Amino acid sequence: MNKISAIRLLCLILALTLGIAAGCAKKEVGGGDEDDELAMTESERQAAANISNGIIYFEYDRFDLAAQSKDTLSRKAPVLKQFPQLRVTVEGHCDERGTEEYNLALGERRARAAYEFLLNLGVPASQMETVSFGKLHPAVSGSGEAVWSKNRRDEFKVAKPRY
Amino acid sequence: MNGKYAFARGLFPIFLFLTLLFPLPRGVGAAPLSVQVVGAGESRVNLLQADPVGGSARASALRKAVNDNLNLIPFIRLVNPAGVPGGAGVASAAGEGVDFKRFALAQVHLLITASWQGASQVELRCFSVADGRFMFGNRYAVGAGEKDLLDTADAFCADFLEAVIGRGDFFRSVMAFVKSDGAMKKDIWSMKPNGRNLTRMTNLKGEALSPAWSPDGRRILFTHIDKRSHGLGVCDTVSRTVQRIKFPGNTVIGPTYMPDGRVAVGLTDGRNPSIFLLGHNLQKERRLDESSAIDVSPSVDASGSLMAFTSGRLGSPQVFLKDLRTGSVRRISLSGSYNTDPSISPDGSLAAYARQEGGGHRIYVHDLVTGAERQVSFGPGSDEKPAFAPDSYFIAFMSTRAGARQLYVTTRNGGDAKRLPTGPGDASFPAWGPASRR
Repeated sequence: MNKISAIRLLCLILALTLGIAAGCAKKEVGGGDEDDELAMTESERQAAANISNGIIYFEYDRFDLAAQSKDTLSRKAPVLKQFPQLRVTVEGHCDERGTEEYNLALGERRARAAYEFLLNLGVPASQMETVSFGKLHPAVSGSGEAVWSKNRRDEFKVAKPRY
Repeated sequence: MNGKYAFARGLFPIFLFLTLLFPLPRGVGAAPLSVQVVGAGESRVNLLQADPVGGSARASALRKAVNDNLNLIPFIRLVNPAGVPGGAGVASAAGEGVDFKRFALAQVHLLITASWQGASQVELRCFSVADGRFMFGNRYAVGAGEKDLLDTADAFCADFLEAVIGRGDFFRSVMAFVKSDGAMKKDIWSMKPNGRNLTRMTNLKGEALSPAWSPDGRRILFTHIDKRSHGLGVCDTVSRTVQRIKFPGNTVIGPTYMPDGRVAVGLTDGRNPSIFLLGHNLQKERRLDESSAIDVSPSVDASGSLMAFTSGRLGSPQVFLKDLRTGSVRRISLSGSYNTDPSISPDGSLAAYARQEGGGHRIYVHDLVTGAERQVSFGPGSDEKPAFAPDSYFIAFMSTRAGARQLYVTTRNGGDAKRLPTGPGDASFPAWGPASRR
């Protein structure tokens, strides 16, 4: 093996070693989603506001869509289809009364209910995602049905990702 | 523990009603106890440490550490030494010449004595005050540091529980739990149940929930939720590294380890969160449930044959038990319309869960053999997320009874819940790790 080949081999071994080391390194969680988003134009900002406005609400321990919620979603669908570069995250939330893990599941079903309704209205799956926060992030603090009814909800967060 | 020898005299007769009020579990080889009922309706053991013989300042520190430990045990009430006629001193820590009547007058049931030989060795003994009978005792070599003193207290308290209820794992265990650092920031911490070795295990953006220990105690699984996604967190407690794994469907709820090191976790596949089995590489292997409703929060016994879980298959959340060998499933929460957060005891005999009642939740324990159900927590506030200890006897849970979320411990039989010291901030989601062995 000549000198140049030896150096190349050494470099290759070094690169492989660094690669393996990087693969085993700590995969700490970070937010960082904002870094993957692009700035919106004025029309996109208006569209995003139209999608985000209009929270839909649910009955206690239920995830079926009320007629009013279907109307709200029906107004969001054409905007999403008109702006395919926008992506919506449907957030499912619950009131404080249930327990954490079951509420995460219930919130997922609430988010999924809106997702599927929008899908049936022709919004591409690639333009939507769901996430449940259960009872972690109440919109209103306190107790009582007036408060709880505001917290059993789907919120719609819009971003313009770097596809 | 170093340099210890036991000088228990064979099968010690334990006075009291412990076996009646705190029955030993089936199938556990605990030492047989003889029982003397002290008084009808009594549910607590009154305990006092006599003034130590020798040892000066170190003796006082050990006495305080032992008291702090035993004060966490739901069935123990510490008696104020000032209430003992003539004081809490004893002529001899070995029992000879001790006037047990003085302690009996102060309603003391169990008397602990300490005899120091210099500053590095102590003999601790426990006596039944009713008949002056020696129950058990050990000699402990005590290192020079404060940590050594606390280790001695933990070792003695483990031996004490071993003698009284046949299980000493409480003071040999480690716990993980969730601690809040403000809005939208929750991390995994670990500690001994008495609050020692309090350690932050993660420091992540977002919220960590539902920790669960691996059978070997090396890793802690948890749900991690950031601004837009769920992930399965894996914390290696040795290398202190954290990995986060995302799954299709963007849902990760209530992971738990199987005894063989695989994982059961709530994931979304299609319409509903369901329980999946992940292999050792954390890749999906198969579903562990079959319903078309929400199924989450798996809890598996130490044999890996029984799995309790929450399901909405009957319209509202209830606790079910699946025999993983036969596939049979049965509902075990038979009352109430909202039962969640199951924790099956490692010995497979009991399942604890949280039942919604009025303004909050209460913890119930269901006997998987007899079907009998017992309420073991009574609020106020909300009591949630019960977790059986490795000894299948103690149950930790989260409660808002004092306002903020804090951890408490009770037993499979109920009793006065005691708060576990977790430091400042909300604490929730208790999870017991395997007990260390001497």
